Amino acid sequence: MRAPSSLKQEFLRKWILGLQICSSSAKSMSISERKKAIKLSADIAMASARNGRTSWSRALIASASKDDNHGKLFVQQILGSDCERLTKISTSIKRLRCKKILKKSSGTIIRRRMKRIPDKAVASSIAKQMVNKRTQILKSLVPGGVFMDEVSLIEETLDYILSLRAQIDVMRSLADATEMMMNC
Amino acid sequence: MLHCADITVLERQRARLKWQQDQLQQPQQQQELQQQQHQEQQQQQQQEVRYFSELSQLISQGYDEGGLMMGQQVKPDPAFENGWPDLGKIVAPAAGYGFGPGFEASYAISRTSSSPPAVVPEAVDVKGKVSVAALNEKVSAAVGRESFKKRKADKVQNTKVAVEENTKDKRMKGSAEEGDSSKITEQNNNNNNNNNNRSNSNNNNNKNKNNKETSADTSKASEVQKPDYIHVRARRGQATDSHSLAERVRREKISERMKYLQDLVPGCNKITGKAGMLDEIINYVQSLQRQVEFLSMKLAAVNPRLDFNVDNLFAKEAFPVCPSNFPTIGMSSEMTHPAAYLHQFNSLQQQAVSCSGLDLGIINPSEMGLRRTISAPVSAPETFIDSSCYPPSSNWDSDLQNFYNVASFPSQQFTGTLEASNLKMEM
Repeated sequence: MRAPSSLKQEFLRKWILGLQICSSSAKSMSISERKKAIKLSADIAMASARNGRTSWSRALIASASKDDNHGKLFVQQILGSDCERLTKISTSIKRLRCKKILKKSSGTIIRRRMKRIPDKAVASSIAKQMVNKRTQILKSLVPGGVFMDEVSLIEETLDYILSLRAQIDVMRSLADATEMMMNC
Repeated sequence: MLHCADITVLERQRARLKWQQDQLQQPQQQQELQQQQHQEQQQQQQQEVRYFSELSQLISQGYDEGGLMMGQQVKPDPAFENGWPDLGKIVAPAAGYGFGPGFEASYAISRTSSSPPAVVPEAVDVKGKVSVAALNEKVSAAVGRESFKKRKADKVQNTKVAVEENTKDKRMKGSAEEGDSSKITEQNNNNNNNNNNRSNSNNNNNKNKNNKETSADTSKASEVQKPDYIHVRARRGQATDSHSLAERVRREKISERMKYLQDLVPGCNKITGKAGMLDEIINYVQSLQRQVEFLSMKLAAVNPRLDFNVDNLFAKEAFPVCPSNFPTIGMSSEMTHPAAYLHQFNSLQQQAVSCSGLDLGIINPSEMGLRRTISAPVSAPETFIDSSCYPPSSNWDSDLQNFYNVASFPSQQFTGTLEASNLKMEM
């Protein structure tokens, strides 16, 4: 496993870079805007800490760079030189997978109508539907999940969970420290 | 799974008896000699294998007579599927976190290689990092009766997929070498799998299978075979067309990865269904994402100006962050230096521990002194130090807690407990 502390250090470093943009740019933002900026910069920092090795990170960066708000700024600042290379990779991969999904979805619907389900298989088909439903939900949760097949979806979920944990640890400690500073 | 395993075991025993009677005419002595040799080797390997002791008991109960030969086999995968689910369970937790770097590397590789639309197989090539291939070879040795072949050094899945032919006349078990090869040629005629390609190149590889596998061996084996197929044998009583085999391979991959997830997501040990597991995973991911939102909101609320500047960073001394208010920064070099980090951490811990009972007035100058030393590399003006707050005594507990939490950078297993403790603190 990657050393969790190095991941956190990496994440923190990049996040601070992003936050510095925030502070310099906008003087008066509402709280929700600030929150969004913070979260976005944190997400981008976490994704870039993966250096484009995982699919969800690439998807996250791709969606952020298309964003009109501070997304592009963050991406440019945080990724630095790698920025162009990574965004190219992310966008190209997405386009390929979009087509695959369209084809897949049309095929399955037709097949389902024509097939007759015997009584014995009702239970298993119900189970399958449950699994499919949950898989769809998971795909919507993980960034870039809709483009993946089940096997890689689970891998990506694993990696994503680890990154989220690291992100939460760092953010919590920063929040606590800041709160402590402000309260005294 | 066990009951169907028993049935197949019984059937196999019967079939093997029948087959052996049929085989009486063949030169048995040779076979027996070779069998004995192989059995001896296999027994040695059984002792060496520590993971699969249960498995070997289970199997040796099932097979009392005759014996298959290992190695020098043209044929692939082990012929019972009943053992493999156990294998999967045993392998995964044992080798779980050791997989880490290999895990990701192989996933990356598998992703790229699975893009060509192959119906049956996909290519995965692990460069023997955790030598799961080695483990699998040991398992096959422990089994000892089957003819094994390890095609691709994929993590677990190849040898997990094991099978037997469905025909009544020919049985895999108890086959001698010649008999096996002849059967194999017949099987090749019967099957429409990709097995046809294997027989030629397998002879080279199978000699390795008898010995104790090292990662060097498996890497050699994986280097030898170039084609990108995973060879799977159809299980007894199941369809043998390539679609269902591919389906089964895919399903086993998925279940293997779900096991990793089970270790990662807390509270998933008791849940056994796929839907339930997915439920838990979804809940966990949602809760993590909500935490991120909450924390970012908290940061936004606490910090109206969004300036995470020197004062803050001083306070969070446990981070290996130098006061990075200075826009460019030797920050990165300082931060990633582990020795510096450790030094800071140690000094902070000492400070925190020693200060717990002392009066504030005494503490703070020492704290300031420490801060000065920490900030020595960057010439921080003392104004910053003066402006940093003197935390009131009521906050010392939270302060200590914060330092310990932050500075220890817990591994994933402890994150849950730390979060719980943090929650208690905040309450």
